[in-house]
Amino acid sequence: MQTIKLAFRNLFRNTRRTILTVMLISLSLTALIAVDAVVRGMLTLFVENVTSTLNGEAQIHRVGYRENLDVDLFLDNSMEIEQALSQDAALQSYSPRVISGGMISSSYNVSAGLLYGIDADREQTISKVAQAIVRGEYLTGEDSELLIGQSMAELLEVDLGDRIVLTLSETNTGELAQALFRISGILEFGMRELDDNFVFINIVSARKALAMSDQQTHEFVLTFVNPEDAENPDSEIFQQLNDEEIEALGWMDLNRDIGLIIELMGYSSLIVGAVLFLLASLGVINSMFMSIYERIYEFGVIKAIGTRPEEVTRLILCEAFLLATISCGIGLLLGFAVNSWTFANGIGFGEMEFQGIAISNNIFGEFHISQFTQFPIYVVILTIAAAIYPARFAARIIPSEALQRSL
Amino acid sequence: MLLLKLTFRNIFRQRRRSLLTALSLTGGYILCVFSFSLSEGSYSNAISFFILDHTGHIQIHLDDYRLRPKIHKTIDDPQGLSELLDANEEIESHTLRVFAPAIAYSEKDDSPAQIIGVALERERSTSTLAAKISAGEYIDNALDAEGYYSAMIGAGIANSLNIGLGDELILISQGADGSIANDIFIVRAIVGNRMSPDRTTVFLPLTAAQEFLSMYGSVHEVSILLKDDGEARVQAAALQDQLPELTVDPWQTVESTFYQSMQADKQANNFFMGFIVFIVFVGVLNTVLMSVLERTREFGVLKAIGSRPLKIALMITLETGLLATLSLVVGILLSLPLIAWFTFWGIELSEPMDVGGILMSHLTGELSLFVFGMPLLFIIFFALLISIPAGMRAASISPTEAMRSN
Amino acid sequence: MNYHIASRLDALANRVSQYRIWSTILLISFHSSLALGADSAIEIIDQMEALYQGESSSATMTMIVETPQYQRTMEMQSSSMGTENTFIRILSPRKDRGITTLKLDMEMWNYLPKINKVIKVPPSMMMGSWMGSDFTNDDLVKQTTLTEEYFLTLEETDELYTIILIPKEETVTVWGKIDYVVDKQYMVPVGQNFYDDRGELIRKLEFSELKEFSGKMIPSRLEMIPMNKEGHKTIVTYDDLQFSPPDVDESIFTLRNLRSRF
Repeated sequence: MQTIKLAFRNLFRNTRRTILTVMLISLSLTALIAVDAVVRGMLTLFVENVTSTLNGEAQIHRVGYRENLDVDLFLDNSMEIEQALSQDAALQSYSPRVISGGMISSSYNVSAGLLYGIDADREQTISKVAQAIVRGEYLTGEDSELLIGQSMAELLEVDLGDRIVLTLSETNTGELAQALFRISGILEFGMRELDDNFVFINIVSARKALAMSDQQTHEFVLTFVNPEDAENPDSEIFQQLNDEEIEALGWMDLNRDIGLIIELMGYSSLIVGAVLFLLASLGVINSMFMSIYERIYEFGVIKAIGTRPEEVTRLILCEAFLLATISCGIGLLLGFAVNSWTFANGIGFGEMEFQGIAISNNIFGEFHISQFTQFPIYVVILTIAAAIYPARFAARIIPSEALQRSL
Repeated sequence: MLLLKLTFRNIFRQRRRSLLTALSLTGGYILCVFSFSLSEGSYSNAISFFILDHTGHIQIHLDDYRLRPKIHKTIDDPQGLSELLDANEEIESHTLRVFAPAIAYSEKDDSPAQIIGVALERERSTSTLAAKISAGEYIDNALDAEGYYSAMIGAGIANSLNIGLGDELILISQGADGSIANDIFIVRAIVGNRMSPDRTTVFLPLTAAQEFLSMYGSVHEVSILLKDDGEARVQAAALQDQLPELTVDPWQTVESTFYQSMQADKQANNFFMGFIVFIVFVGVLNTVLMSVLERTREFGVLKAIGSRPLKIALMITLETGLLATLSLVVGILLSLPLIAWFTFWGIELSEPMDVGGILMSHLTGELSLFVFGMPLLFIIFFALLISIPAGMRAASISPTEAMRSN
Repeated sequence: MNYHIASRLDALANRVSQYRIWSTILLISFHSSLALGADSAIEIIDQMEALYQGESSSATMTMIVETPQYQRTMEMQSSSMGTENTFIRILSPRKDRGITTLKLDMEMWNYLPKINKVIKVPPSMMMGSWMGSDFTNDDLVKQTTLTEEYFLTLEETDELYTIILIPKEETVTVWGKIDYVVDKQYMVPVGQNFYDDRGELIRKLEFSELKEFSGKMIPSRLEMIPMNKEGHKTIVTYDDLQFSPPDVDESIFTLRNLRSRF
């Protein structure tokens, strides 16, 4: 209404100042949106690397297995566990694994490594092994198939179709077992830990080599319909399965250090955002004061003719609101533009590694609705809050002083 | 002089405005200082930690031993090398090491282990090995009454093999001459705990390890501690020139993944801080321009009576500069205690963070010229930057325009 | 009927039946010589394997290991019974004196006197070299299953038999093909060539220097040369070899004997 029209006119009386103030607020908003996008992108990369590459969102083991990966500490009631898993609606999928350390030999060389016996079909629903194949083919269930990391293949001087002999100790007896495989696929995960040390074979072949029955498994890997359930230790599947013998843990518990980093990142974003806005508010306050001083004669006049202090306050706050809204508009546009750029191109930070996760890819900015809804709201609220001090000042202007126009 | 007094007066003419502007500058400064301090401090902390733990400032190997370790890639004249290094004034101390993978046995159990043979006394002054002992005592290289050497074992091995101080430890490995290396050692100390990175390491006296592995006299690695922390790369290059047949690497190369991650993180931080300061200065520009324009009359008068435009511009620059300086002084005073607290106490992370293979367990601050100086430079730079358009605006005020203004 | 025609028919019938008999005989002998080919390949290999072992044997040997970094000479004493049981004791150098290896069928143990311990060779050591040589522990264990686990083809020249061994589908080995070359005249091995799946020669074992041991002519020198590691080779020389010696019996091939003093 009247106030708004007045506020609008007032703002544009001093275009230069308004532009600078708008710039101040909108750039802060843009910075917040852009940084939030990049931080989310980094976190997603992390979490993805941890969960979707190989280790899923949760895992089930025999208690004590994780300490040394002792091949004798297997779960021996796989059928029961699978039943429980298939009945839990919160789970999206699960897959069993048989794991052992052993010697991997070719005609040319020998190396120690970790053997993963996987269920070819179900594994695809919980990890990225199939996608890591750069040459050859993924497992189809045939007995002698084997997938090997690119760097290990180089060390052993082998290629697709070459022989590989795996030498391991059988469970329980520790007897030597050897088995022949042929390389059916070469993998590149881009994570040196995986490419240097892992080979994958069909779970049936692994169980045979280790003299394990089909009721015996070392690990179940799970994914959830709703990924957040994995982070909640009270989720039903955890409650159901955890006991003295079996341990079911979400990825955050399995990788406590990453959980910490994520928390830290969250905090630091919050703190930086808060400080940034604090600093910006100072500028806003200053700007409002300047605009009030410019019009101090006017204020004197209107108060002299009877305008109530509340009405003056309302006017100033309205100006602040308008200022905020315009700035948000611009800030959102700029933020959107910057996000689009980082989303499409990513920011390259060069080679980085945190928690064993190599980030040599670019980090892609991520859009999130809160950037375009929550942030602008905060900005508007904060701007209005910043304007309270100047508004009260304006409301308390004494006409007789103001009319003297002293600066 | 007069100019200074004038500048002061101009600033304090509008106290509230100047105060708010100064506050935003001080706030920006403190934020930057804090961010840099935390980053520099935590990283420096992690760096000193691993340098003292095992890396040293500089490492020397034969060829590509570091990347592809093979038992026969040895430094064959460690005596000569030691003499060279002892005589070098930049070097604080150095140590000699031998490595081999092995299987450790007790009566009933066995476990894979990593053997590290160290020159005991040199190691004591070059790394924190002695401080990591959790039970027993740092060994010497004497044979006991039965002719056995002593060993210090990681807590993981002590646990897997169920052995403790005074017990026999059997090690089997492959000697440099292809023979089966096998011998008995007496456990005289336990190193670290079951979570330590060295939990599966067996530390032996250098001569014992050399004999065990049939490596008479040779070593795999020389690790050097310098007197000056920052000199690693320079000194490494100098040493490399002196030792063309060996490979000399500064810690930045040895722990290159960590180093690169750190650089990337710091760069991102710098960039972000710079941007924040920029935003603060948008606000400052606003203030400065305002203060120029409200004194249009004054400037007009000044010009009318003959002041040079340049002088007027300079005055603006001086004002901005002074405001910035005052803000900086307050900023430094306020941030000093905060940074000092962080530097000397710090925050302990509940779980250490792995950056490029190195564990960082504390967030600490750093009290240094860089930490306080960098943000200072940022602010002064921006202050000068914005005083240009403001000064130009002031300088271009014509007397007539001024007269016509309020 | 005309007598002439009848007798001619008879003669013809005779001829045909005679022809048939001959051809059958020929055919039979032809078949059996084919069968003889595959059988003889197996026989030849069995004969070669038994050459150094017989029912039981005892030998003293010298092994020289050469690498670009070192050269090592070891003297050993070995006993064997059949092809599954082997007992090898190191006599020199002094540092390694008393280290003993016992192989019973597919299992292997080492005894290390310095630490007074018997270790069963674990997977990590199986694929590794035996005593630092170019022979692997696996070689020692696997040598005796060639005839069961491989397809054998025999080729001959005037002087040599070459038996080509191709592993069966299920055979667990890193080799794609092994050539076993035997000298016809003396019926002794001349060499073994080990190939990868692509037909590239990866290592070869050469037999030379025939000497008479207990009435048999046997190559006294074996040289194992890896093709993919320059400067590496291992030479085993038999200094003495006796067959069915009186002091070799089952008690030697026991874990208890592994630890005994000598």
